[in-house]
Amino acid sequence: MGVWIDEEGCIVRPPEPAWTSTRTSVFGGKELSTDGERYVAALRNWVTNGSSSRHVLSDEEFARRTRTRSAGELEADASFKLGVWFHQSGNEGLASKHFERAQALCPDDWNYHRQLWSFGPLADARTKWLEKFLKMDSPYYPELEI
Amino acid sequence: MQQSGSSPASPAATVLYDDRAVTLDRIGPDVTAGELWIEARDLPRFDGFELKPEGACRGDVCVPLPAGSVRQDQLNFAAFAAAAGRAVVGEPAERIWSASRLLPSGTTGSPRRAPDITVPDRLGRRVHLAGFRGRKALVVTWASW
Repeated sequence: MGVWIDEEGCIVRPPEPAWTSTRTSVFGGKELSTDGERYVAALRNWVTNGSSSRHVLSDEEFARRTRTRSAGELEADASFKLGVWFHQSGNEGLASKHFERAQALCPDDWNYHRQLWSFGPLADARTKWLEKFLKMDSPYYPELEI
Repeated sequence: MQQSGSSPASPAATVLYDDRAVTLDRIGPDVTAGELWIEARDLPRFDGFELKPEGACRGDVCVPLPAGSVRQDQLNFAAFAAAAGRAVVGEPAERIWSASRLLPSGTTGSPRRAPDITVPDRLGRRVHLAGFRGRKALVVTWASW
């Protein structure tokens, strides 16, 4: 994810996919694409034109893209941190409880899944990732609104 | 995670707060998964807030606290956190609570003002985002797993 910050320290564009190449990979017969050419072109446009670039977001658009997190998302964040704490403390029972709580509250947040899988065998992580990837209806990477 | 506090080996409570684990020597007796009463004197350890008649204040910014969230010398930490835009989850039996992270717009003023994050470079030197002031910056985060 990439964030653009201007000379004054103000965020021009909040986090969005920041690929530098456009390509499509296939996993289990399902495509996964990155959209780098448009992103790099937009970035160059901003570097050249600064605040007059058409890619500088208005306050209204910025607000739309940085919506307030829901109560469930906040709780998931706190739960996951607690899970990491217990994992690092060797208390896997409570770690799992809070990891699963975070995932239940935010089932579409890949971070909570991938981080948990990273604690186990790599082969298992690959299998679980592919299972979830093949089931999901929404794009794996957020759509680039450039 | 960085330890923050001067408590003994078994603190009364530990609060995971941003990248710190804040240990507290004293807390109120009535604790649940979502409730924790801290000593008012410990409040400055959480983002430098202080308890004032207007609420929890830091500099010119005050976060109003709901009625019943302050008693004698104690403060309902979950109420304070909620007022500041955070959720609190805990394991009372383990004496540990966790506060969700705050988005940049939380208590730092303009939502478009970039937080002054600091990260190590490849040589371990600390790089401050504010050090790029006067230049355009592209911050890219990426992780393998």
